[in-house]
Amino acid sequence: MAYLTQLDYVKYICSCGQLKPITSLYFCRHCLKIRCGFCICHEVDSHYCANCLENMPSSEARLKKNRCSSCFDCPSCFHTLSTRATLAQPRQPVDPAGGDTKVENKQPKKMYYLSCFNCRWTSRDVGIPDQPVASGGWPERANPFATRINQLLDYYKAIALQEKQEKLERERKKFSIRGKYITLTDKTGLTGAMARNIAGLPSNEAGSSSAIANFVASQASEEVEQLPDDIYTKEVNLKQITSMPQRLASPEWQPASVARLHPVAKLLSVKRSQRCRACDHNLTKPEYNPGSIKFKIELLAYYHVPEVKIISHEPVKPGEKTALLVKLTNPTGHEMQLRLLQPEDIPPVEDREEPRSIEKSLERSLNLEKDASACRAIERPPSYAASSVVATPVGALTLAQRDDAAEYDDDTQHDADHIILWRKSNKLALRLEVTTDASAADGAPASTAFAIEYSYRNTVPPSSTAAHHRDHTLYTTVLLDLGKVHA
Amino acid sequence: MSYNIKIQPGGTVCEDCTLEGDITIGGGTVIHPRVTIIAEGGPIIIAEYCIIEEYSTIIHKKSDKQENPPKPLFIGAHNVFEVGCKLESPCGHVGESNVFECKSFVGVDVKIGSGCVIGAACQLTAPQTLVDNTVIWGSEHHIREALEKQPSQLLQLDFLSKVMPNYHRLRKPNVHKRQPSRQSQESSPKP
Repeated sequence: MAYLTQLDYVKYICSCGQLKPITSLYFCRHCLKIRCGFCICHEVDSHYCANCLENMPSSEARLKKNRCSSCFDCPSCFHTLSTRATLAQPRQPVDPAGGDTKVENKQPKKMYYLSCFNCRWTSRDVGIPDQPVASGGWPERANPFATRINQLLDYYKAIALQEKQEKLERERKKFSIRGKYITLTDKTGLTGAMARNIAGLPSNEAGSSSAIANFVASQASEEVEQLPDDIYTKEVNLKQITSMPQRLASPEWQPASVARLHPVAKLLSVKRSQRCRACDHNLTKPEYNPGSIKFKIELLAYYHVPEVKIISHEPVKPGEKTALLVKLTNPTGHEMQLRLLQPEDIPPVEDREEPRSIEKSLERSLNLEKDASACRAIERPPSYAASSVVATPVGALTLAQRDDAAEYDDDTQHDADHIILWRKSNKLALRLEVTTDASAADGAPASTAFAIEYSYRNTVPPSSTAAHHRDHTLYTTVLLDLGKVHA
Repeated sequence: MSYNIKIQPGGTVCEDCTLEGDITIGGGTVIHPRVTIIAEGGPIIIAEYCIIEEYSTIIHKKSDKQENPPKPLFIGAHNVFEVGCKLESPCGHVGESNVFECKSFVGVDVKIGSGCVIGAACQLTAPQTLVDNTVIWGSEHHIREALEKQPSQLLQLDFLSKVMPNYHRLRKPNVHKRQPSRQSQESSPKP
């Protein structure tokens, strides 16, 4: 909860150099590295409506313009609209005396209208007739520029197709010039364009080129409609005029008056899965069912990396030593050996390229085209300014594995010493000493950084090809926010 | 302070609420427990078929420039005061079919027409007059105008007046004959 409501006092350094709290980091079990939202691949798993939880394949979602066909948002406040039922007498005008027409008449008919519980907008406000069925059947307004938009779409599709074909052509030419050998296509002569050429038929670009040829660019005209005479003198009733967000919510119509507001079909949401860019393994994968909030794969740093929390600290003063109490938690199911280091002392990552097997490098060269720079994560050294230095204790600390039943037995181990404050199942409180730079200015933000060396047991089932280590020694750097420097 | 509370027949008023001063409660009105109604600056008249929910407060405040005899605070029919709302008014007038949503606050010098909605947690403090069918909503106090009055809560009223006696001690109606003349007299000086 503290992670949701409070500032991020403790930040971890991602392998790409970003500083993030542990709750927004991932941990790739295959690369054994911390990843964050900036250095992983986000993929759309499924489209669904957040209101009716109906999911649909992406092709259908595209066809429906990424909107749900049965749910609507309020055009006034963008809250989800609800369907309300009323009893209405068919063929009978509304009683002008009172709002209530629920008279016990013979066979009152149930009619439905849309209503917003937030701003009390109803579909009756803009004169949309009530519907006899509870869902669907709401009148759809036609886009006044539909034909023009379709024209433009056709035109750009044709251009895209043409460019693609030109590119293909270029590629083939390049290939035929360079290669001495008979390629597969030369031998069989079986590309569609070639076959048409040989047969003397018009090329299949004819369809697309006609779309290009017949396209008329829009013309700007100098004559515009005159403003009404009373535009400057008429009193403005702000209640009748829509706000900018209201207009932009329906870009096709952009209603200027509230009487023209129309229910907005609800936008679809997506479920995302995340993938490590270095090894292409999934980091998170949600369950397909939109009603479920569980994950099939959930490699979060919170479950794999020791968690650091600040218990308390003395006010940081320049040139002085102050105490800092932190809590370390081992979230894994295995015992963990920890050592605190200075961030500079992390050994440089050894290049793992060398033991790469010949098959793997072959595979890599084959995948060269896929391995474009577009999907490579940019790594840069993290930038942070630590005004204070933590005196790191020598010697390793042992953290027991996580045990869900531990909270029920109350035998706290008392091996407290001058560094360890207390120890409770998989948690450990440390008393650290922070030395602040004498030149630190009053009121400047105080922060300190330390690195953790921790043992990690990999639980990925070993693959047949790669040599498999079970136990690893990993490093992570943690940046602590200690408030402000008090001179 | 004189305690003069009149409950007309059909009114459901829980015993566990604070009623001070000269208060008239119309028939069909339901007042939940823990409601505070204080008529220190003049009488409060609540018309028929209102719902006043828990922890709502209606105060007729004393003011310096008070007329003699004091002007009553008249609350029209079919108003709904939701949980925790507050209405402070020395001479304000409240029309009918209004909804005061949860935790809303209506300060002094606010005149409220009919069919208005004061949204949840909306605070009206400046002197103003709400025309009929005004809806105020959201933290930024957006204002819009509804086409028609809010639908009345007759079903809810029926339910409440049936259920409330099963779980709460009620104050008994103490005015036994209806006073239609007085009602019409009070509602006539509407602005």
